[in-house]
Amino acid sequence: MNVREPQRSNVVSQSLAQIGACGLFLLTLLAAVPRSFRYVRETIRQLWFVGAMSLTIIMVCGLFVGMVLMLQLYHVLSIFGGTSASGMVVALSVYRELGPVVTALLFAGRAGTSITAEIGLMRATDQIDAMEMMAVDPIAYVATPRFLAGLIAMPLLCCVFCAMAVFGGHLVGVTWLGIDNGTFWSNMTAVVDVRTDIVNGVLLKSLAFGAVVSLIAVFQGFTTPPTSEGVAYATTRTVVASSIAILALDFVLTAFLM
Amino acid sequence: MSQPRSSYAVGTGLFIVLGFAALAYLATQTSSVANVHQGDSYTVEAQFTNIGQLKERAPVKIAGVRVGQVQSITLKSGHDVADVKLSIDKNYDRIPQDSVATIFTSGLLGDQYVGIQYGTSKQFVAAAGTLARTKSTEPLEEMLGKFFGAGGVVDNVGGSYTVRAGFTNVGTLSAGAPVKMAGVVIGSVQSVHADPVKLNAEVVLSIDKRYDAIPDDSAAAVFTSGLIGSQYVAIQPGGSPDSLKDGDEMILTQSAMQLEDLIGKFLVNGSPSDKKDAGNGSK
Amino acid sequence: MTQPVRPPSDDTTLVKIRGLTTVLNGKTIFNALDLDIPRGKITAIMGPSGTGKTTLLKHITGQMRADAGEIRVNGENVAELSREQLYKMREGIGYLFQNSALLTDFDVFENVAFPLRQHTKLPEVLIRDLVLLKLQAVGLRGAARLTPNELSGGMARRVALARAIVFDPMLILYDEPFVGLDPVALNQVLKLIRTLNQTLGITSVLVAHELAAVQRVADHVFLIANGKVVAQGDPKTIANDGSAWTRQFFGGEADGPVPFQYPAGDLAQALGFAGAAK
Repeated sequence: MNVREPQRSNVVSQSLAQIGACGLFLLTLLAAVPRSFRYVRETIRQLWFVGAMSLTIIMVCGLFVGMVLMLQLYHVLSIFGGTSASGMVVALSVYRELGPVVTALLFAGRAGTSITAEIGLMRATDQIDAMEMMAVDPIAYVATPRFLAGLIAMPLLCCVFCAMAVFGGHLVGVTWLGIDNGTFWSNMTAVVDVRTDIVNGVLLKSLAFGAVVSLIAVFQGFTTPPTSEGVAYATTRTVVASSIAILALDFVLTAFLM
Repeated sequence: MSQPRSSYAVGTGLFIVLGFAALAYLATQTSSVANVHQGDSYTVEAQFTNIGQLKERAPVKIAGVRVGQVQSITLKSGHDVADVKLSIDKNYDRIPQDSVATIFTSGLLGDQYVGIQYGTSKQFVAAAGTLARTKSTEPLEEMLGKFFGAGGVVDNVGGSYTVRAGFTNVGTLSAGAPVKMAGVVIGSVQSVHADPVKLNAEVVLSIDKRYDAIPDDSAAAVFTSGLIGSQYVAIQPGGSPDSLKDGDEMILTQSAMQLEDLIGKFLVNGSPSDKKDAGNGSK
Repeated sequence: MTQPVRPPSDDTTLVKIRGLTTVLNGKTIFNALDLDIPRGKITAIMGPSGTGKTTLLKHITGQMRADAGEIRVNGENVAELSREQLYKMREGIGYLFQNSALLTDFDVFENVAFPLRQHTKLPEVLIRDLVLLKLQAVGLRGAARLTPNELSGGMARRVALARAIVFDPMLILYDEPFVGLDPVALNQVLKLIRTLNQTLGITSVLVAHELAAVQRVADHVFLIANGKVVAQGDPKTIANDGSAWTRQFFGGEADGPVPFQYPAGDLAQALGFAGAAK
């Protein structure tokens, strides 16, 4: 009896095939957007699951990121006597980088995995086939609402994250370390710019990350083999692929937007 | 099943409202959106030879109070000065015509802004008028020079004259570096460039008009303020009865000391034998 | 439901399959299969595991495309339908999945109401009445507010059946409806299949292994093996038609046309005795 050789196809070409399939899947998703307008209730329901349910983790993490950032900056900036700038630096670094990136990573871990697992299980239990049989397009009913919900939820979550981070920075900097309250705010408002920092940083980046994470999550859910190992593997892949995509895209966006 | 559905909708609605509230908070409480939006204003033009890091929407301040912002920064072709349009609040429309617009830096690392120092004229700058007297941004070298040098600030406002000096080596001397006499700043280096004929560095010094009695046999030397400080030109007065005039050249010069030379002087005996040993060791 | 105007077809046959050929992953599932499903009858499709009975159902609903051959459902060629037409056709077909495939997001009531909500704009009152009637038909009106996780296998299958008939389809496809049911649940499902067929005249197609159950309900039986129909006829007599296939399948013999051994090389060689034998 011959032990079958494990199929060793090229890792690069496999990844390329994945990216290509993902891109085609995005086209399918977008093509289904008009049809999914009928299922706007489903989109709202998904917005509840991926958005509102992620709120706690986003708020807590945002608070701590702001607090720890302020603590670190305070000690570094005190060397140069520039502690009054720490509030500004917290705001800038959170708005431009940490807010969108950390929110997206948390979003991938919290909402992305649950989307993948949910769709994978729906496939494993024939629910997707059942929809197909009930003449309900699973792409328009299952995939696109989740994708749109992720797209809408990410910028909102990112805003909440940033607000919590500023609050955390204020808590540590002003309440604890004794930076002057007025200095904290005036330095921040003097430097933070609505267009470059909030629109380009917070909103655009998080919108792009939201699209990428929810696309990967839905794609993995739909293409995974409908078995328990397949679902487990797909959730892992969602996190890995999302994280890489987020950080790579972050670099590209930063290069273009800043 | 209308009960759970509507609760999703309510929860999702709350989530969206919270998200937008956070966005509004970011945009209004932590950023300069309030600065962008302002009441009636008028524009004043000012020309600067060097705007440094000044950006559009940078604040314009009088006595440290924000009165407006930089509307636009343009450079006309053929000109070597930047046209900066300042948008100033209508409430502050009584700025004397001879006021000086200066580009300042908030702190050592902060952003730059335009500060207006009032003059004494009874006439005020009209809308779309020009502030004729300006001071450009100061390069970091010059600022450091001010810290290290004991001298006060020299304004270009009072006018200056230029003299030339040739050096065989200027080290890291650059335009804007201070010119000092007796440790007091009396002017600045206007330009440093290599002379294609004499094959040395020709430095143009811009010296304040007040110091117009410097003997024409004075020596110019390139010194370094401290070990890591920036370099400056020191003038050591000579004994000639004639004084330097605009466009004169200083004959006696002393070039910059290279750091290698300085260290070499400390280690005269050690280094050659070390090199020899190292050469043998490698073979 | 109002029946859309359909092209004329011969009255006695609802699903007509001609020359169906399917190759999946290099394995031939169907090889020029011909099969007619009569209108208004209960037809059972039987066969050894892996002969593609479920695949056949998916061909009928257009979820899978055949490599060759033609499938006509009520006169329409499934392969030529556009997505919209296909969906229109599927509204007239009920499909009972092997593992019920209830939507876990919703409770029993919403599962049954799901097709109505997706395809109609009926008022809430009417939807409620329709759903409760269908649940009453399968005997689970009291379970309307349970979630799918709280149901036993037999109950879940009955809910799925209620969902499949909520549009009063012309055709119901049952994929292994008897698997994993205790005798009581089995009898309940059998009774439902028969009632639905007799009272509503719904054409039913059963895919199953259980001869005893099939004999009690089916009007006609097809035995599929090796990608072809190897035997067909009345459920009482088909077991005795004398072919090797029917003898093995209905007699339950371990070896026969369906080999006990999965195709493999010589045993002696695999165990390393090949050299010694030479």
